[in-house]
Amino acid sequence: MSSTTQKNSRVSVEERLFSLVLALIATEIGLTKADILSTVQGYRQRYLPGGDNSSLERQFERDKDDIRELGIPLEVVEPPDDPGSNHHLRYRIPKGLYELPMDVVFSPDELMLLKLAATVWREGSLSAESRRAMTKLHALGIDSSDPVLGYSPSLRVREASFEPLSKAMDRGQVVAFLYLKPGEAAARRRQVEPRAMVLHDGRWHLFGTDQDAAATRTYLLSRIVGPVVTVPGASFEAHGEGQGQTALSELEALWIANVAVISARPGSDAALRLAKRHAPGEIPANADASALHLNYTDLNVLADELAGYGPEVLVHSPALLRAAVRSRLISVRDAHTDSDSDVNPHPDASTEAGA
Amino acid sequence: MIGGQALGASDKLTFLLALVPFLMDHDRISVTEVSEHFGVAPDRVRDAVNLIAVSGIPGETRQYLHGDLFDIHWDEFEANDVIVLTHLVAIDDSPRFSAREAAALIAGLQYLSSLPENADVDAIASLMAKLTRSASAAPSQVAVSGTDARSSITVVQAAVRDGVQIEFDYLNARGEHERRLVDPWRIQSVDSDWYLRGWCHLREAARTFRLDRMSDLHATDVPTSLRSADAGPSESLFEGSASDLDVTVELPTSAVPLLADYAPHGAAGAPGDRVRRTLRVAHFHGLKRLVSGLAGVVEVVAPADARVVVRDWAAAGAARYDEAEPTDVGK
Repeated sequence: MSSTTQKNSRVSVEERLFSLVLALIATEIGLTKADILSTVQGYRQRYLPGGDNSSLERQFERDKDDIRELGIPLEVVEPPDDPGSNHHLRYRIPKGLYELPMDVVFSPDELMLLKLAATVWREGSLSAESRRAMTKLHALGIDSSDPVLGYSPSLRVREASFEPLSKAMDRGQVVAFLYLKPGEAAARRRQVEPRAMVLHDGRWHLFGTDQDAAATRTYLLSRIVGPVVTVPGASFEAHGEGQGQTALSELEALWIANVAVISARPGSDAALRLAKRHAPGEIPANADASALHLNYTDLNVLADELAGYGPEVLVHSPALLRAAVRSRLISVRDAHTDSDSDVNPHPDASTEAGA
Repeated sequence: MIGGQALGASDKLTFLLALVPFLMDHDRISVTEVSEHFGVAPDRVRDAVNLIAVSGIPGETRQYLHGDLFDIHWDEFEANDVIVLTHLVAIDDSPRFSAREAAALIAGLQYLSSLPENADVDAIASLMAKLTRSASAAPSQVAVSGTDARSSITVVQAAVRDGVQIEFDYLNARGEHERRLVDPWRIQSVDSDWYLRGWCHLREAARTFRLDRMSDLHATDVPTSLRSADAGPSESLFEGSASDLDVTVELPTSAVPLLADYAPHGAAGAPGDRVRRTLRVAHFHGLKRLVSGLAGVVEVVAPADARVVVRDWAAAGAARYDEAEPTDVGK
């Protein structure tokens, strides 16, 4: 083999990044930017000694960010004799922080479970991140136990706001978005420090500090209208671990506290499905046999769901939920009623079940 | 800007960084074995090995001399498709997880923790702690609440494992109860909804069933048929059939993802930021439930009989509130 890798062909992105990581791990004292640009594979081919290397410098800045996004601790060291000097900053990757800790061992069963956990995300950044995490785990050479047969679990992230919000959260950036609360005529701008993204009761929520209210708030991602933007120059210190659990506990407490009482027509889809969600606990003495208790976090979300059951469900309480379901059904009815058609305002609902 | 580089470069770099320590631990290993272990195509392994073998550090001379580079046993690689690392540079262990990588796996585990197999809370917690310790920064705050796993999951999963048919009473979207005999293939979930995918002996076709529409479920001792294995489980949860009906709906652009399950197509323009999409449905009974649950968002435009089905459903629902007084909880 030739002793150098000097090539005429363009160096691929992964070769340049790989060479940069190797060079920065191999150095104890760190490399200056000039060292890197002039010597590291992928940069040196384009480096102009004494010339204008500004586009190469920008390339290096992007590469640094990309490498850090992969969890590689790329450090900047200020020279002790010349603090504050940009020219003599040194870059390195401390090996001890780069490597998986020696004492962390994964069993074959654990690996099998992690493989399944990684498949939960089918799309978006969480899917790419799970895939890369598994690649790193495979480096350990553990063979996983046989997979549990017959499972194909998946979680979706359908809201376009998820990616910008979670990115801003990781970078400690303040975001702004328009939020449409049900019952309010127009969406209102919110400026928020994102603390956690949580999936509860099948819905994605943002938990964060509302800067106007100076208090934490939980937002349904489905109610964010329009784009999420980062507020220039506004950043915040990470709020630390446990934010996600805090948000989930708050939602769980809300879910338990809110109870709707409904009846479902016996034998119907609603009766079968909602009965399986019937909240344990006391049933009021005056409730009939078909009455069901449903916990909920958000009245309007539950109203949407119950309206879908049409005549199979009758809401008894709370009154607000009852009104919300009724007005939804009326709005659907009216939107699908043609002015010239012959409408029976009270169709025989019982025929629906056997239709 | 960030991440704007050729998509996949991050994946390729991660693979290179993971492959080196793996090869170090295996003195001689075939490309096939590596490709199976990492779950990647053999050509990706060969490309990576070709790159690793000529990579290294600038070294004291800053010239990438031979001793500064990785090296492999080229004859073994080229003649036998076997990888033997003969010289190592700079790295010898797998990189840590990023904050987001650890978070993605932890959130996936939180979701799986509701499955009956994973009822061991301590084992899951210990695994999450290991992931946290293996990340280079505190995992991102992405959390997922467990869903209410149903006892039916246990029955179905055992039947998949044992290769036996299951039998249950199923209420379809038309409101009909039918006894079904099914070769279970797998339990699929989408968020908090759980489904069984399998071969339905009544319909003699692959079908997807909602677990929450099943009742009186039990496993039989009849082995699943060979025929169903031939049909092979497809990845998709729902599939169209020739008898499907086209329905045109109008909705805000932002709401289109809500209908993703119905594979909306067509970009026929509509005034303002509302768009029209065509959905394929097996019948209108699922549609009336879908549309009534999206009041003020989705409107069925055509055909006229679909509009009538939706209207009658919503009207019948609304009419129930004319009959009953709000206060008579007990009726």
